[in-house]
Amino acid sequence: MRPLDPRLLRYAHAARQFLLIGALLGFAQTLVVIAFAWLLTRAITLTVAGEPLSTIMPTLAALAGVVVLRSVLIWLLEVAANRGAAQVKSQLRARVMTKLAERGPDWVASQQSARLSTVVTTGLDALDNYFARYLPQLLLTMIATPILIAVVLWQDLASGLTVIIVIPLIPVFMILIGKVTQSVQQEQWQALQRLSTGFLDVVGGLGTLKIYGRERRQFDRIRSITEEYRTRTMKVLRVSFLSGFVLELAASLSVALLAVSIGLRLIDGALLLGVGLFVLLLAPEAFLPLRQVGAQFHAAADGLAAAEELFTILDDDSIATVATVSTADAAAGAGLAAPHAGQLGQAAGALRLAGVTVRRGDSVVIHQLHADFAPGQLSVLRGVSGVGKSTLVAALLGFVPYTGALTLGGVAVTAGAPRPWLAWAGQRPGLFRGTVAENVALGAASAEPGLIVQALDWAGAAEVLPSNVLGVNGDGLSGGQAQRVGAARAIYRALATECHVLILDEPSSALDSDAEAGLLAGLRHLADQGRVVIVVSHRPAVVAAADHVIELQELIHV
Amino acid sequence: MSDVTTASRDVLRLAQPRPRWFAPGLLAGIGSAVMAVALLACSAWLITRAAEMPSLAFLGLAVVGVRAFAIFRSVLRYLERLTSHDAAFRQLAELRLGIFRRIVPVAPAGLASTGRGDLLTRLVRDVDDLQDLPLRVLQPLLVAGVTAALSVIGIWLILPLAGLTLLVCLLLAGVLGTVLPRSLAARADRELAPLRGALADEVLEIALNLDVLTAFDALSPRLAQLARTDERLRRATLRRSAGVGVQSAVVALFAGAATLGALYFGIPALERGGGLLSPDLLVPTLVVAVLVPMAVFEVFGMIPLAAGAWRQVRVSARRVADVVPQAVPAEIPVDVVNPQELFSPDQALGPVVLELTDLGARWPGQVDAAVAGVSLRLAPGDRVHLAGPSGAGKTTLAQTLVRFLNYTGSYRLNGVEARLLAQDEVRRVVGLCEQRPWLFDDSIRQNLLFARDTATDAELEAVLARVGLAVWAAQRGGLEARVGERGALVSGGQAQRIALARALLADFPVLIVDEPTANVDSAGADALVRDILTAAADAHRAVLLISHTPVPDELVTARVTLPGR
Repeated sequence: MRPLDPRLLRYAHAARQFLLIGALLGFAQTLVVIAFAWLLTRAITLTVAGEPLSTIMPTLAALAGVVVLRSVLIWLLEVAANRGAAQVKSQLRARVMTKLAERGPDWVASQQSARLSTVVTTGLDALDNYFARYLPQLLLTMIATPILIAVVLWQDLASGLTVIIVIPLIPVFMILIGKVTQSVQQEQWQALQRLSTGFLDVVGGLGTLKIYGRERRQFDRIRSITEEYRTRTMKVLRVSFLSGFVLELAASLSVALLAVSIGLRLIDGALLLGVGLFVLLLAPEAFLPLRQVGAQFHAAADGLAAAEELFTILDDDSIATVATVSTADAAAGAGLAAPHAGQLGQAAGALRLAGVTVRRGDSVVIHQLHADFAPGQLSVLRGVSGVGKSTLVAALLGFVPYTGALTLGGVAVTAGAPRPWLAWAGQRPGLFRGTVAENVALGAASAEPGLIVQALDWAGAAEVLPSNVLGVNGDGLSGGQAQRVGAARAIYRALATECHVLILDEPSSALDSDAEAGLLAGLRHLADQGRVVIVVSHRPAVVAAADHVIELQELIHV
Repeated sequence: MSDVTTASRDVLRLAQPRPRWFAPGLLAGIGSAVMAVALLACSAWLITRAAEMPSLAFLGLAVVGVRAFAIFRSVLRYLERLTSHDAAFRQLAELRLGIFRRIVPVAPAGLASTGRGDLLTRLVRDVDDLQDLPLRVLQPLLVAGVTAALSVIGIWLILPLAGLTLLVCLLLAGVLGTVLPRSLAARADRELAPLRGALADEVLEIALNLDVLTAFDALSPRLAQLARTDERLRRATLRRSAGVGVQSAVVALFAGAATLGALYFGIPALERGGGLLSPDLLVPTLVVAVLVPMAVFEVFGMIPLAAGAWRQVRVSARRVADVVPQAVPAEIPVDVVNPQELFSPDQALGPVVLELTDLGARWPGQVDAAVAGVSLRLAPGDRVHLAGPSGAGKTTLAQTLVRFLNYTGSYRLNGVEARLLAQDEVRRVVGLCEQRPWLFDDSIRQNLLFARDTATDAELEAVLARVGLAVWAAQRGGLEARVGERGALVSGGQAQRIALARALLADFPVLIVDEPTANVDSAGADALVRDILTAAADAHRAVLLISHTPVPDELVTARVTLPGR
């Protein structure tokens, strides 16, 4: 693990700012620590010399000032770390979201969107502790420790050398113990993974266990799982706690060594009390940040792991941004919608796919597909699971690159933004928090209440009120209702912007036959208006209602 | 701890290891902390006394002491961490069993909104987080408290005023260092938590629905809105950041104050005298009183952290207490005292006729019945398709028939009212393939065997063949193939087939299959329904298939439709 990932500084400039402020504050803290030790030593030596309190009072006053200053600096450093973390999280989040938008839906789908959003929100919160606890100590290790060692060396060569000899031993032992811990952990890792989910397995499957009358046998199982978890974890801990042991031993033993050696030299009169005490007070402070860095190792590892996930996303340049079309006359397509708008029914022609080939990675999913989808007709696209129906739809949306020609009424059209000719509803409803009306009119400049009602009606969802308020991800509707509201959204777009093509991907998979019939009737209206209506489905009712069925064949790979 | 309810106190009690396990760690911890204080005290004394140039013999003990304290402090700390973790893990078994014992009678229907898998995950994580009670709350509180008390007494013996100063500083640091940050944190949390939640929701919606947003040209406004939410959260965090470092600052301030106090009161006392142990206060002893507070406060720094951990433990305990009901709710069945038997335990199961008359059922915490007025008769050899719109109560009915929920009306098995039978007895004859079958993170063999642990490998392979998984299982490497955590390595359809295989092994006279196609892509759904009905068909068995997808006529003997509600 690198203690500080340079990419953090590259992707979030607030991190650089924090390092600068933190370094300044760390330097100030070091000076204050030295001042405190020096003033305290002075107060004690004055006392030893038999001075009265009145003579020592100015020193005590200065000491009080230093104590207050030290608290203020500690506070400032934590505040700076907290602010830095907030800024950095915000900057990283913004970058990742921009990256997602650039990369497009197909790439995001390959990333497990739920995990992705956890990484961007709560996952990033692991950076809080990294900034609050680890980075300041890391800065202090680099600033305070060398300065303090230098001061000790300057005051008393012998003590300084002791510290210089002991301190490098710490990282050496830490690395050694870290290696052993890792190998012990690897030995146990799989078993621990399994055991750590064992209890969840029993609790989650309790319903199933009760059905088979096995719930009472689980008591022994829970006990043995947990007991094995304990023995195995303790095996790992016995080794990994050694690193803390070494850190503490090094720090306290060096204090003991210094105290004894200083004491012996004081008896001989080879050293002054002032020097000895000053050195004794400073030496532990040289070890402190190093011990903290060791103790906060986990905070650091969690934070860096969270950041690492983001960096992988930000660094990933493996897929080129979707190359929309490769037809020769692609440029002509962009202007399509305007001249035809308002003339729907007469002017719109067939959607023609000529030699369309779609690849995913190295494998060809659709090979040289030729197909015509006539206006005014309900076309059904079907084929066995995995044949590439959804991939073809994704290509038409411009989410997946393809080669070949795509024309609408003889004019080449562009897959990809802007796509004024296309309205679509996917397999998932994809609804948002807000009213049903807001969901149906998504992306429209203005929402027309009458059209929203009509769209819901034609989607077979007349019973869903436009004023209904949905939770996150459309929570609050049944699966079938959500699916029809998703279809209504596509229908609204088709009606409001006079799109020529409507594509629905498995729109009735969660519907009962009544609702399905309602949707099919609506689709018939849309086709009758002169649209190209394409439904991806294998449901018998949908196939029966179709004017035209296109069967996608499985590619035989030679 | 005043705002802890009785329910969460019960939960917390389960988390605390018994004294016999807890004591070794605690003693080692106190020992280590006391030695850390003693190391500094002894070093300070050694140096100042040496400066008076006595004969070496006077210092011998201090030299030995310094070295011993340094070593034992680290050794004891290592032992403390080992023994206290061991104790917490030992208690984890008791804790999990205690919670499990309470869940068993009410699961699955009585756990608050069990439909959500994440709730159980949360519960299990909360239970495990309760380990922090001994490790990060009680242990540091007791270690720091005892060490601080011993130090105060020690210093008080040297110089009462310095001891008093230390006590006052410790108390102030303890109170201000926990109360102040706590109220600041609570206020910040009240402001920040909703913003964090809003941000998380917006991010999830965008990531999940990027295709929709892109296709409807609605991405830019969404991203702009997200940026605004982010901005609001960031501003609020920055406004609140001033409260963050208060805790460490307060502890550092009072540590310094205790040192200053010892000097201020100690210097005049050198001339005047005033030590408790000896009338003359000597310089080396004074230096001990001056420096010891620094070591004490280092130990004492654990207390604010423990207070923070306590806040989290309390939240976890409350959540656990909320999910696990104190008493069995009225909607969940409890066995009658002397239940009747359908078949004696050693007798093989015979044919069973299931009859429902005007059956109704309700979920705990709900006012309205989820299903009502169902009348139905299932006899051996029947295969009935139960349809109905979503929300009609199909799943509720399934859960009621296996006695996860109480019922109104009449539910008879071979003429005996089900509530007069033990729940186990009902579940011996009525089986259920759940909508989301739970697969255990184990091999296919283990996932089948728990339905009938005497089954041979040949029988297991035969039943896999019956549900259409023979080829698939062979490709995976046979019965030893693992299904992954929560069946992550198998598809929705395969999970249903494994669940069916399990039910066939158990050979229930009545089998209910609840929405087997709910998590299956529509292309596979028809084949799955067909395979299920074919495999489950048996002259001795009654099958009730709950499904919203159409079922071909030749596969069923009757159809029932629940009206929408």
